[in-house]
Amino acid sequence: MLEPRVYRKLLRLYPAEHRQMFGEEILAVLAEEIEGADRRIIAQARLLVRETAGLLVGAMREHFRILVDVQDGLSVAGGRFAMRNGFRFPKSTIVFMGLILGGVLTAIKKGEDIATSVPHDIGPIAPVHIQPVHSILLGGMPLFFAFFYAAGLIGWAILFAFRRSGVHRLAGISGEQK
Amino acid sequence: MESLPLTEPVLLILLSLAGQSQHGYAILKDVERMSNGRVVLSTGTLYGALRRLLEDDWIERFEEEESSRGRQAYRLTSQGRRNLQMEIDRMKHLTRLASMRVALKEI
Repeated sequence: MLEPRVYRKLLRLYPAEHRQMFGEEILAVLAEEIEGADRRIIAQARLLVRETAGLLVGAMREHFRILVDVQDGLSVAGGRFAMRNGFRFPKSTIVFMGLILGGVLTAIKKGEDIATSVPHDIGPIAPVHIQPVHSILLGGMPLFFAFFYAAGLIGWAILFAFRRSGVHRLAGISGEQK
Repeated sequence: MESLPLTEPVLLILLSLAGQSQHGYAILKDVERMSNGRVVLSTGTLYGALRRLLEDDWIERFEEEESSRGRQAYRLTSQGRRNLQMEIDRMKHLTRLASMRVALKEI
């Protein structure tokens, strides 16, 4: 049968810690699911899609959780990632989004200022080449987004380096000792 | 600390463990039964939720004694039970309030 092999491969996407703790258990539950499932092809396909999607999303969420855990350990003394109802952005993402929004608003304001500073009654006597506002914005936008993309990458690299250094584990130990 | 209100899947998982301890597959089936097939959890989703509940000490994990395969089972901790009760109280209050408001509007 194909599914157990697929599921086993998908489990490799999880962080090692999660895999060690739940890996065999998840595979056992999946085996029970396959065993107890409806034999019809549609039901089998539905099960395969649901479980595959569940494992993919679960793996992503676990990696994300570890990343957020690091941030929490660094920003809040003794704090840890509490289980939340539904998805919420981490604080850093909100800050980044605020910065991006601020940048976009500034760019729009700057564009408007340029548009109002250019005289409209130049007429045919003085044919000055005026660069349209949207082209100025479009020219600046890629640079603008490239800057924030780079900033995001650097931020992620720092968090990743912290994770590799095991700082978050130390934070966990000091939390437990309290 | 867990924030209330809980999502429906998490609430159903906790309710599944409120009566008795259960292993993973039994929780999946119980959640499906309790919600009349509306909530069908994938195994990945279930174990993500179980992990968070374990970390927050709402549930605990132990090896089933009567199982020959040494299967892991889960049960509510006293903290988990207390928090579940708080959530139920919150929902009761909300439904009472909703009924009152809707009844007032109908008059």
